[in-house]
Amino acid sequence: MVSGGNASSLPLVGGKPEPTIKELSSPGRRASNFPKLDVPEVKINHESLKKEKARLPEVSEHDLVMHYSRLAHRNFAVDLGFYPLGSCTMKYNPRFADSIASDSRFANMHPSMPEEFTQGCLKVMYEIGNYLCEITGMDYASFQPPAGASGELTGLLIIKKYLEINNLTNKTEIIVPDSAHGTNPASARMAGFTVVEVETDERGMVNIEKLKEIVNENTAGLMLTNPNTGGLFEEEILTISQIIHNAGGLLYYDGANLNAIVGTSRPGDMGFDIVHSNLHKTFATPHGGGGPGSGPVAVKEFLKEYLPGPIAENKDRKYNWYQPENSIGRMHGYHGNFLVTLRALVYMKLLGKEGLDTLGAYAVLNARYLSSKVSKIIPLAYDEPCMHEFVTSVKDLKKSHKIKAYDVGKALLDKGFHSPTIYFPLIVPEALMFEPTETQSKETLDDLADSLKIIIADLQQEDIVLEDYPKNLPVGRPNELIPAKFLTVNWGDFELLEITE
Amino acid sequence: MFVPHSELDLKKMFDELSINSLDDLFTHIPDALLLENGLDLPESLSELESIDYFNDIAARNKSDLVCFAGGGHYDVYLPQTVKSLTMRPEFMTSYTPYQAEISQGILQVLFEFQSLVCDLTDMELANASLYDGATSIAEAISVAINKTKRDGVTISSGLNPNSKEVINTLIDKNKFNLNYVELDNYLFPSDYDFDDSQAAFVVSYPHYEGSCQDLTELVSKAKDKGIVTICYVDPSMLGVLTTPGQMGFDIIVAEGQSLGSPLSFGGPTVGWFATKKEFARLVPGRLIGESRDKDGNKSYVMTLRAREQDIRREKASSNICTNQTLNAIGSAIHLSWLGPEGLYDMGYHSIQKANYMKKSLIKSGYVIPNDDSSLREFLLEVRTNASEVINKMGEKGFLAGIYYDDNHVLVAVTEKRKKTEIDDYILALQEVDNG
Repeated sequence: MVSGGNASSLPLVGGKPEPTIKELSSPGRRASNFPKLDVPEVKINHESLKKEKARLPEVSEHDLVMHYSRLAHRNFAVDLGFYPLGSCTMKYNPRFADSIASDSRFANMHPSMPEEFTQGCLKVMYEIGNYLCEITGMDYASFQPPAGASGELTGLLIIKKYLEINNLTNKTEIIVPDSAHGTNPASARMAGFTVVEVETDERGMVNIEKLKEIVNENTAGLMLTNPNTGGLFEEEILTISQIIHNAGGLLYYDGANLNAIVGTSRPGDMGFDIVHSNLHKTFATPHGGGGPGSGPVAVKEFLKEYLPGPIAENKDRKYNWYQPENSIGRMHGYHGNFLVTLRALVYMKLLGKEGLDTLGAYAVLNARYLSSKVSKIIPLAYDEPCMHEFVTSVKDLKKSHKIKAYDVGKALLDKGFHSPTIYFPLIVPEALMFEPTETQSKETLDDLADSLKIIIADLQQEDIVLEDYPKNLPVGRPNELIPAKFLTVNWGDFELLEITE
Repeated sequence: MFVPHSELDLKKMFDELSINSLDDLFTHIPDALLLENGLDLPESLSELESIDYFNDIAARNKSDLVCFAGGGHYDVYLPQTVKSLTMRPEFMTSYTPYQAEISQGILQVLFEFQSLVCDLTDMELANASLYDGATSIAEAISVAINKTKRDGVTISSGLNPNSKEVINTLIDKNKFNLNYVELDNYLFPSDYDFDDSQAAFVVSYPHYEGSCQDLTELVSKAKDKGIVTICYVDPSMLGVLTTPGQMGFDIIVAEGQSLGSPLSFGGPTVGWFATKKEFARLVPGRLIGESRDKDGNKSYVMTLRAREQDIRREKASSNICTNQTLNAIGSAIHLSWLGPEGLYDMGYHSIQKANYMKKSLIKSGYVIPNDDSSLREFLLEVRTNASEVINKMGEKGFLAGIYYDDNHVLVAVTEKRKKTEIDDYILALQEVDNG
């Protein structure tokens, strides 16, 4: 059966390795062109000026275009196929949002302009603040954090400043579940807190009894994502929030999994005081191969004055910058990743109430459907209804056939899919985590399950070499030890290594 | 919108799950947490309606001003070729290249980016990008603190004021002393005595005010005291300026907007970070390495992953995960488009044009306090109030520069500015700046 959006044809073009742009360089060629100098040329003497030209490649424009286009053909993307990548929310990125963000009336705005000149940009930031606060159940937002991890750090610095101003500096411990993203403990440490881990129970949720044991007068707060990294809704969230608040701590919501609950439930109603959102996940802005993202932080009213400023306000039908009084300070040189923020607003406008009210529900439907199919092939890690993602484990296959989660991921690449997230959360052995998002069709989900079934059967055959997978791609598994050991991170390094070794 | 399911699809999926409606998916969530009437938000707009909606918002920006503002973000010419290639969907809509076999495109461009940054600055190892110039400085300071285990940081005051704010946010003032050193006649005092309690020496090249100096001696004096030297460089001037590597710096960081990204109201742009190999294991962010697959094919892969937050968790030296890959790709493609001649033209034209503007302003009776030491950016002493001058120049069609203090505007002249625009600017200035 041929179905919509599946990987019935291979998405990548392979062949011989593409040379580097430096290898394509030939002296005397150039792509650039500038107008003739239109001011009288004078001799300028300055001690910082150099005589030699910069070391850069010399290529024609056509060579340049062919080179980077060919490299593009060797790269998987949302526009080419399905990423069932848990925790990453790789949904469709609407083209339309790009066209608005490319409008020179936004894209060519200098960041140091006075607010009277930038009323449009301020309106964008004010409007999306309203949307985001309604969606998360919070009161005020700052769009300075350029990514999720920066949003986390922002949230923790807000907690720290809040404790300082309220003379609660004994509170130095941040509680993080053992299933949390690595950025959580890393951010907590950067903000100067001690990290205390709370265990996950056998159902896959925060162990309430252990939490009660850990919480004490030094508890500064808890970082949690709900649904959690196992894809499960923390059903006892109101109890958890009571435990933390009773101890005088604050609740921080990691928005990594916000997509699951948009329109259904809100972190603000669960008791969270601070929320960061990943606009590049939940609100469909393109991931750009690893960035840019945008990690705005929204807070309840009592924390407004701690936000990184300035934030956009609307007074007397004009927009202006407001500088919070006890602000933790800037998290970005200017206004965060503004064009990413703008794309997210476009997405929210296109979806509107109808689309946003059902966003989480459709994301959960797809995950629940896929988990039903996948669970017939690989066992689920938790016997609970999943939200927008679910975790499976191949620990039994590892025991019986030495098949690791890594091998399953690599073999799936051959079938035209991206690998699911592997080895996360850390508490599940040989974990494979699937997140289909709401934009994939039933047929694509079916195809993924079918491909998985074929792979698992293939990998169990006696005569196969697991390391040979993937087989149909531009390259096989790269040797990861060479660059780590010899630091071949610059062109010429590898050739030098070949000569010296 | 963007959900593909037809009624028929939904029926099949509901049947598979033995449910009757979407609501049945959430029976395990406490009732108190379920939104009864959904979100209080406006109805959806079609694409066509959205065009009007965002047209109205865009029209509120004064977007047609001739730009003489800089401060790290420059109105340089960004060729269509660079924009089109960077926005290729295979780059734009892909994920972080953890799966190397299907990510060779992104990995190779990032490897080229790292190498181009090294060649341009004379360093040995660059990472695959940080958020922006300001946050890159703070990351570099953290590296220096980790390397030296010292608790003082010597920072030149000639930095973008917003960057200073970011440093003050990200470097814990309870643990570390941030010592800002005032410039002397717009230059870092060449007789400055460094002391060996300092972890880092941070200086902008050129300084925020546009003045530029040979920092070789200062770098050498700081290094003699075991201090890690950090240069915040304006990368689009490296076609004409001596490189930070030639001056001996240990770490260079940069705001990379002017190479590959539009002004973007300040973001997304890209932070550059390059250093010497001895610092490799302290470098924040992703690094791409060259390797071979089992058949000997050249292949690229993310490397030194053990430094990163997803593996080291609370022991990681930086929490960065998502970076600015697409803007780094823009930098690589823009640098390749420019080549040595183009980057030279960009720098040389801008300093010629800035020089013409300074001399014309002086002829018109204006004072340029750092005329001698500045290159493409300089301070203009105004007769009335700087912020009023900027507002009134806006009405005349110019972004006059950046407010520096009540008496000074920071003016930048890129290669894009025409002689006629400069002449008209000065005429307009004389009209509005009438003390």
